[in-house]
Formats: sequence, structure tokens, C-alpha cells
Amino acid sequence: MRPLIFLCVVTGAGLVYLMSQASSNTALFTQNYPTLLGLGGLLSLGLMLLIGYQLFVLRRKLKERVFGSKLSLRLMVVFALMALVPGGLVYAISFQFLQSSIESWFDVRMDKALEGGLNLARSSLDSSLRELGQKAEGMAQSLASARAVEPATLSRLREQYGVEEATLLNQRGKVIAFAGTEATSLQPEIPGANVLRQIRAQQPVRTIESIPERGLFLRVIVPVNVLTIAEDIRILQVLQRVPTAVAQDARVVDQGWRDYQELTLARVGLKRIFGLTLTLAMLLTLFSSIAVAFLLSERLSAPLSALAEATRAIAKGDYSRLNPVRSRDEFGILTQSFNTMTRQIADATEAMERNQQQLENAKTYLESILSNLTSGVLTFDERHYLKTVNATAYEILGVPVGAFHGLKLQDWTTHVATVSPFAEIVLKHFSAAATRQWEQQLEYRRHDGARTLLVRGTHLMTRGDTGYVVVFDDITHLAQAQRDAAWGEVARRLAHEIKNPLTPIQLSAERLQHKLLQKLPEIDADVLKRATGTIVNQVTALKGMVDDFSQYARASRMTAEQVSLNDLVREVLVLYESMGVPIEPQLAENLPRVAADPALLRQVLHNLIQNAMDALVGADQPRIVVTSSFAADGITLSVRDNGSGIAEAVFGRIFEPYVTTKPKGTGLGLAIVKKIVEEHHGHISVENVLPHGAHVSIVLPLREAA
Amino acid sequence: MRLALRALLFAIGTFFLATAADAEGITPIRAKVEAGADGYRLDAEFDIRFSPRLEEAVNRGVALYFVVEFELSKPRWYWFDERPVQLSQTYKITYTPLLRQYRLSADAAYQNFTSFEEVVAALSRVRGWPVAESGALHKQGDYQAAIRMRLDTTQLPKPFQLNAVASSDWNLASDWYRWSVNP
Repeated sequence: MRPLIFLCVVTGAGLVYLMSQASSNTALFTQNYPTLLGLGGLLSLGLMLLIGYQLFVLRRKLKERVFGSKLSLRLMVVFALMALVPGGLVYAISFQFLQSSIESWFDVRMDKALEGGLNLARSSLDSSLRELGQKAEGMAQSLASARAVEPATLSRLREQYGVEEATLLNQRGKVIAFAGTEATSLQPEIPGANVLRQIRAQQPVRTIESIPERGLFLRVIVPVNVLTIAEDIRILQVLQRVPTAVAQDARVVDQGWRDYQELTLARVGLKRIFGLTLTLAMLLTLFSSIAVAFLLSERLSAPLSALAEATRAIAKGDYSRLNPVRSRDEFGILTQSFNTMTRQIADATEAMERNQQQLENAKTYLESILSNLTSGVLTFDERHYLKTVNATAYEILGVPVGAFHGLKLQDWTTHVATVSPFAEIVLKHFSAAATRQWEQQLEYRRHDGARTLLVRGTHLMTRGDTGYVVVFDDITHLAQAQRDAAWGEVARRLAHEIKNPLTPIQLSAERLQHKLLQKLPEIDADVLKRATGTIVNQVTALKGMVDDFSQYARASRMTAEQVSLNDLVREVLVLYESMGVPIEPQLAENLPRVAADPALLRQVLHNLIQNAMDALVGADQPRIVVTSSFAADGITLSVRDNGSGIAEAVFGRIFEPYVTTKPKGTGLGLAIVKKIVEEHHGHISVENVLPHGAHVSIVLPLREAA
Repeated sequence: MRLALRALLFAIGTFFLATAADAEGITPIRAKVEAGADGYRLDAEFDIRFSPRLEEAVNRGVALYFVVEFELSKPRWYWFDERPVQLSQTYKITYTPLLRQYRLSADAAYQNFTSFEEVVAALSRVRGWPVAESGALHKQGDYQAAIRMRLDTTQLPKPFQLNAVASSDWNLASDWYRWSVNP
């Protein structure tokens, strides 16, 4: 675009120059003037198209709301006006001036003066001609008398009349005599046939003629009349040169008149030429300046567009776009400032992102700590809305993950009823504003049994971010282990302390019986026998009890081997066949062997079946089902009965020692079972089944053989 | 602005108006080429009608140049046409107001006339214009002869040239008059 406009402008300037040259007088340009005009017109048309195209482009840009196009338009309009208004003014004035000045060349007085001059010259020449005519008449009369004319006679006559050249011709135009001054040519001018005819008709011919290279001549031709009819007429031609000064003046007048007349005629044409030249020059200049105005306005608004582009880039987050500083003016400074700003924003954003990254890392770190923590962590804001919770908290509370997301603590109970004791305690502590830190242990019922939770809380009073933090742990196992250890110690002491005196008691009773039986009368002997019998029996029972205690208290001495669980179950069940309670085995086929101590497993089975039988005393249609099956993490062995089930009061502590519902029993049966199962790295669970009865299931892991 | 517009329109118009037909003009009436003892000579006659403006221009002293162009050609099927003769002759009409004389000049020769009609009549006749040497033309086959006369606008004074371009008054040119010549 730019080269095209440049070319147009240069061509236009050239054309205007050539046309101005052509308007003055140069032959070469004069001939090509119409061509120049045409070229100028074409160029104007081309420029007009160019401007039209530029306008079209600008309009499209405006429609597309290209940044800077409005400024371009405004600048363009201003430039165009700046070109148009003064240009138009100068043009109008020039045009007017041109027209009036051309008109002013033509003047009635001038016209008259030239006409008068011409007439003056004519009349002067005419009078000379008349004079020459009279001379010629005189000569003709003199010649008419002379029959034969000698050149000498003619020459004398010529000198006498003061004529420059005299020729006597016969009526066919043939020269009879010729006389002339030395300056004249030797050859006379022969008149044409028309003239001869005219003369023969007795009409004298008077002409003024300009003979090339000789000057202006007066020529008079008269007939030399004859006296008799028989004679042929002769013709006299007299030639007189107009004096050089007069001729020159006459020619000047003639030329002046002609030039003036030509100018008068050419007036319209001249006006046209000048007008056209002026108009074309004006158009070319105007269009060129408008076209250049486009370029200028584009050039001026280009930095703006670049800045807008860069702004958009920044808005999109691209800070790499730096505009080159091209000029030293305010735009350059602006661009530079903009670049500085961009760099600063980029730096700030980078720092911000880094900080955010760090924050996020810290948060992730905290979250990972929280999620890997074995304690449940809850944080609340001042209004008791849950803010943070880790997965362990849900796990310990036994509710689905995310159940309390964004819920107020008071509303938890309505969503999950089981959390009510937990929520109540926490709320109680929250309400007691005075306590900064608190700690409480509570029993929590979960779907898989009761858990002991240790809950600690604190009121956060850090700046700006206040709220509550609650941390709680499932200390069921810990408490259990503590209890187990305590009971183990008790059992061991009991066994030790009680077992020792039992044997002497028994021996003493037997010895009493043995020594005194014969010495006593029959009735007394009977009493003694019964009493000692009772002592021995009770001691034996006490020994069994002590054995149980010691068994529970003894250290682990498991000797593992590969055991087929089904074989073992069948082996044990044989012993109970005659006990009056039907025992139904439901054993899964192809069970893999487990690593276990068969003796201990047998005891487990014995204990469980004994428990079941105890629970079935007095029941209708007693029934025991022993099941073995695959489980997700091992092999399940379960014993189910349809007895009375486990009392609600002891359900939570059923595996603890000395917890029993049976009228006679040590309460160690299930405790021992649990101990054995745990020694096998399995786990045990108990539940009551509907409509009544209990179901104990043991899961033994498969992989523990190694 | 209106003036400028008008001028622009005029400038554009100059290209399209130049060929407009008109009543005034030059029409060839007859033309012939005859073989003489000293070569071929051309006789031709035109009907020349000046527009009033052109006549006025002459009477105001503007010199008019008329060009008579003549050419002989022979078509050749294998190449461009043969053009053995291509001639042009310029006639000049001037008026001397001082002497009230019209002058028709061709090269150095001239002839004076006292009336405009006379000079036009003299202009419209071409007599014995030697166009070719005796042996210059082949005897076999016809030649195509063409003649025309036109006002040479390029020799007009500059202001009139523009008029000549713009107005039909100033465009005096005959079409080519063609006939066949058998040498």
C-alpha cells in the first residue's frame, strides 16, 4: 500500500510539473498535452479508487472495532480537512483569478486599436496602390501612342514615373519589354490567366502581394489601349516595392491583429487549459494528501494498536509481549513505561504464583499429615460450622466420608443419628466458653461395636482466624490392651496364689478321711466322708478354674503348622454327637490350609460350642451351625446358635475376662478365644442374630504361615 | 467544487467525444491514379465543408494545416501487405488580414486567393501529384490505393488543440477512400 501511494504521489507530482510546463510554451509538451491530461485524469481516478479502498478498509476496521481505528479515522478526517479547506480555497481563488485575468486580456479599446492600426495600414497601402495605378495609367497612355515599344522607351518611362519594375506584355502574356532597377530580379512576374482575362475585359488589376524573400509589393496591371480595333491590346504590369519600414510596420500590425484574434478565439481553450491544469493539479494534490493522510494516521495510531495488542496479551496472561521502542517522542516514552509496567506485572504475578504454590504445598503437606494422622481432626468456625475434617475422623466416627461437609455441628445428629453422643459432648465444651482446652473420654457406639474415644478440643484464638479444633482418637484397643494386661496379671496372681494351697488342702482332706474313717462311728464316718468328698470336689473345681486363669494368663506359646480347618472341625464335632444338641456343619469345600496351632484351634472350637450349648439350655429346638468359608482376607470360621443371644449390658465388653451372663462360669471362655485368635493374627466379631441367638465369627488370615 | 467536477468530467469526456459524427467534414469524391510518361500521377477531389468556427478561425488569422495521405498496398497471403508507396503532403491555409488574401501553400509553392471559397476549392483538388516512378509498380495484379485528407490538429496553436480534442468542430478528417489501381 505504502509504495503504491508513494508511486502515485511521485507520478502526480511529475504530471503536475509536466502540465505546468505544457501550459507555458514548449512544443514537445504542447503536442502531448491531451495525453498528459488523460494521464492526470486516470491518476486522479486511481487515487480516488485508492482512497475509496482505504476508506473501505477503515470502515471494516471500525466495524470490527479494531483498536486505534477510531483515532485513525479522526486523524484522517483532520488531515483531509487540513488539506481540503485551504486547498479548496486556494483553488477557488486561483480559478476565479485565472478566469478574470484571461478575460481582462481582451478589451474593446485594444480591439479597436488593433483594428484601426490594421485599417490605417490598409489605407496607406491602398493610397500607395492608387498612386501606382495613376502612374500606370499615365504610362499606359504614353505607351498607347507608341506603336513599337523599345525596352529603352519603357525604361525611360519607368524612370520618369519612378516605378520599380515595369513589364509590357502582349495579350497572351508574353513579355514584350521589361524594365527594372538593378535590385529587382531579371525575370518579370508573369500574371496568371485569370488576370489576363480580366485585363482583356478592360478591367485594371491592383493587388498588394507579399512575395516570399522579396517583401511586400504593389502590383498594378492595366491594359494599354489601342486606337484601332485591328491592333491587339497590350498589357502593362507595374510593380512597386512598399518601402521596407512601412512594410515592416504593416506586418507588425498584421501580426499583432492576428495574434490578438487568435487569442480571442483561443480564450475558451486557454481557460480550459489553465482550468484543467489547475483542477488536475488540485485533485492530484488533494487526493495525494488524503492518501498520505491515511498513511500518517495509520502510522500515528500504530503504536496505540500495538499497545492495545499488548494490553490484550497481558489480560490473557501473556507477559512476554514487549513492544519495541521506535520513537523518542511521547509514544516512545509511553511504550517504554508500558514495557516496564508489563515487566513489573510479570514479576509480581510470578511472585504471587510462587507464593500460591508455596501455600498450596503447605496446605497439601498439612492435608497429607491430617489424612495420615491416626487421630480424627475436626475444625469448626465460630458458628460451629465444620471447616476441615480428615478422613480418619469419618472413619473413627463410622460415617461415610464427606457426610458432614459444611454442616453445622448442631445438625449432625439429624443426618447421622449415631454421632449424637459425640456431638453433644463437643457442643457442651464449645458452649462452656471459659474452658480453653478440654479432654474427655467417651463411649461411642458404632455399627461394628462400641469404641472408646478420647476427645480433646481447644478454642483457637489466633489473630483473625478463630474457631475450634477437635482431635479425637479411637483408644478402644489401647484401653482393651490395658485391661487385658491388668486381667492377665490378676489371673496370674490368682492362679499362683490359689493353686499353691489347693494341693495341701486336698491332701489334708484325703488324709483326714483316711485316718479318721475307721475310728469314727458310722454316722460320723458318713459325715466325714461327705465333707471330705465335698472338699476334694470343690478343690478339683477350683483347680480347673485356676487352670483356666493360668491358661489365659500364660504367655503365647503357639506352634503353627498347616492345618485343614474342615478336618479339625469334624474331629471336634464328633465329641459332641451325643450331647443332645444337633450341630450342623456347613463347610466350604477346597479350603486352603491355614497356618495355625491345632490344639489352640480345638480349644477355640470347644469354647465356642460350649458357650453355644450353655446358651441353648432350655431352648426350643436347639440348633448350632458351624460354618467355614472364604473371606476377603482369609478363611472365616463361625458358630451360630439360636439361643438367648448376648445381653445388651455386656455386649461391648463380651471379650473381657470375668464378663459372663452364665450362672456359673469364669467369664474367661471368650477372652481365651479372642486371645488365641489374636495370636493367630485373625480377628473375631460377635453379633446377635434375629430372631434370637448369637453369631461368633473368626477370620484367620491365609498369609500368616510365613 | 462544481467547476472542478466539470473540469474533471471534461477531461474524461475528451477521450470519448472525439469520434462523434458531424455534418461538417471532408469526403473524398473521386480519386484516380494514372500512368503517365514520367510515372504515376494522382488526381483526387474532396468535398470539404468547414464548420463555421473553423472558418472563423481562418479569418482571424489562424493557420490551418491539412494533410493528404496516400498509400498503395498489395495484399500478400504469406506476409504483411506490400506497401510500395506511402506519401503525405501538407497544405497550409493562411489569411493575411492586411492584404485580405488567403494563401494556400504546399512546401515552398503558394497561391493567393481573395475569397475563402476559392482557397477551399483549390484545397479540395489534388492535380497530378506524382506518386510513383514508372517502374515502381508490378504489372501483375491490382494495387489497393487509399487516400484521405485531415486537418492536422497537432499543428494548431495549443489552446485549439484542446478544443480539437474536445469538440467535433475542430475535427476535420475524411475516412480512407479506397479503390483499386491496375498499373
